[in-house]
Amino acid sequence: MSILVIPCFIRAQSDLDCLHRLLDSVRGQSKPFEKVYLVDDASPLKYEVGRHAVEHLVLDKNGGPACARNIAISRALQDKAEHILFTDHDCILDTDWNAEMTAFLSRTEFAAVGGMTYSWGKTLLDYYHDINGTLAGKWLLPDRKELWYMPSLNFGMKAFAAEQFPFDERFPSAAGEDVDLCLRLRSKYKIGFCPTAKLWHDYGYKSTITGFARFVRLFKKYKSSSATLYEGHTVLMWDSSESIYEGNNHEPRLQV
Amino acid sequence: MSLVYRFKANQPNFTHVLQDFVGEVLPFAKRVNNPLLVAPMVLLKSIEWSIYRWHKTPIRRFYGIKSNELLYMITNACNDRCPKCGIWERPEPKSQHLMIGHFINCLKRLHHNLYQVTLTGGEPLLFKRDIVLIAEEARKLGVPMVTVTNARLLDEAFLTRYKELGHVLVISIDSVERSKWNEFRGTPSFDIVMPKILLAKKMLGDQLRIQSVLSKESEQEIPKVAEWCRQQGLQHNVQLYQDFGAYNWSNAITQKEMVDDGTPCAARKNICIYPNGDVVKCFDHRRIPLAKEPLGNIAKQDIIEILCTKRSTEVSKIMKTCNFPCKHMSCNKPQALLFR
Repeated sequence: MSILVIPCFIRAQSDLDCLHRLLDSVRGQSKPFEKVYLVDDASPLKYEVGRHAVEHLVLDKNGGPACARNIAISRALQDKAEHILFTDHDCILDTDWNAEMTAFLSRTEFAAVGGMTYSWGKTLLDYYHDINGTLAGKWLLPDRKELWYMPSLNFGMKAFAAEQFPFDERFPSAAGEDVDLCLRLRSKYKIGFCPTAKLWHDYGYKSTITGFARFVRLFKKYKSSSATLYEGHTVLMWDSSESIYEGNNHEPRLQV
Repeated sequence: MSLVYRFKANQPNFTHVLQDFVGEVLPFAKRVNNPLLVAPMVLLKSIEWSIYRWHKTPIRRFYGIKSNELLYMITNACNDRCPKCGIWERPEPKSQHLMIGHFINCLKRLHHNLYQVTLTGGEPLLFKRDIVLIAEEARKLGVPMVTVTNARLLDEAFLTRYKELGHVLVISIDSVERSKWNEFRGTPSFDIVMPKILLAKKMLGDQLRIQSVLSKESEQEIPKVAEWCRQQGLQHNVQLYQDFGAYNWSNAITQKEMVDDGTPCAARKNICIYPNGDVVKCFDHRRIPLAKEPLGNIAKQDIIEILCTKRSTEVSKIMKTCNFPCKHMSCNKPQALLFR
């Protein structure tokens, strides 16, 4: 049984359009989810999800994506979910995403899994993210047999791992809380990589020129969270890793 | 080892910034297939790199997880005279040997971040009482421990306590034939050590591992050691030979092959302590000019303070791409991957 968790904070119509596009791709899955939890983190924009069959949980107070995901994880565990998968409202799932993620978790010993993330847009900035592997996770070096980290937009955990390792709600925004989770998770379990579980992420760049300020803001946000992580995990961040991109996503030495 | 630091040599400067930048950008540039896009992509990468390097952000303090290895070369002294190793030729004077309390404090300070503490030498069992103290503290703190030894000083009392504490003992063996063994050890120790290895196997069971060094001199012997381990039901690991000042053995494969094989180094996860308490990020730190001098000394400073210095961070960044043959040593891999 696989349950999908989508935390969201809808500020504008464009966010809502993204959400509907995601939910369309959720509906089109070759292997449907048993349940989808859409957790609204006290969005300023009020909306309905209409035709989509999701459990829409609307929170009274904004608590950040970590808190929203944890609420859905509790519900999923009560529902006896076997696999709990996560994505974000600005993503588009490949038709086989659920099938690939759950098959990977079922057939391997890995407690968690990450899939391959591509940019949705066609600007140079999107191309940069693709080859940079900005949101595609990182191999743990030297062996590239498991992941150092996988962003929560393309991530799944077995129920027992999700129960033991909730997201840390002290992270106030969508940056760093997924890295923190993976680092803690790896103290006990391994995170695998499933290159065939594909999704696309919309960074929201309208063009290379107009998107540049957004590009800079994105990395400033990530730097902010990485400073928190450096401090929190002390010397841990010196663990060696390598971004995943199209050229190294099918590692010959990957053991599943 | 001198603790008198040369100020200039220890200050990160423009060349280290440049080295970090090139280390990040060069591998990235190789990913760009379209030559026309190399320049704009490198520009964007430079912007990202600059943000990560210089953008200041508020920091909140959280907690750590276990992802680092603490390696303690407890002594340079050894009761063997292996020609492959030059460490025993430079035993530390008693006055310079670190008091065990300083290392225990260091272990306590770091234990939230440690997946393993490894004791090496020289011959660690020359300080058997200290080993037991560290093993007891590691057990209390929940940190698995590995001791690498030549097994000459093993005895029943030590093995009983070590077994109780649940730690792993690694015995170094490069041959299982008497004449070669004695040649490789530089002392006629075969008949002393072999019964002790069998005793250790009996008492420690799965907590005992065997490690061999592969070089031109030992390459005929290693398969025999592997076969012997298989027969004895012992886990075995082979490490490529690295020179630590002896210059008497030679690599079975060329330095170029070792460097070019695509294996990345993950050793910057390591925190290494010398017998006098000096801290380095890698026991082969002298290959990196900025890392030649120790980062600090745990008898004089807090370990976290030492690891948070700017030079320590710069050294870690350089280690990300330093690509030296020493990356083939066991310290580059967690124990789980070493022994099969």
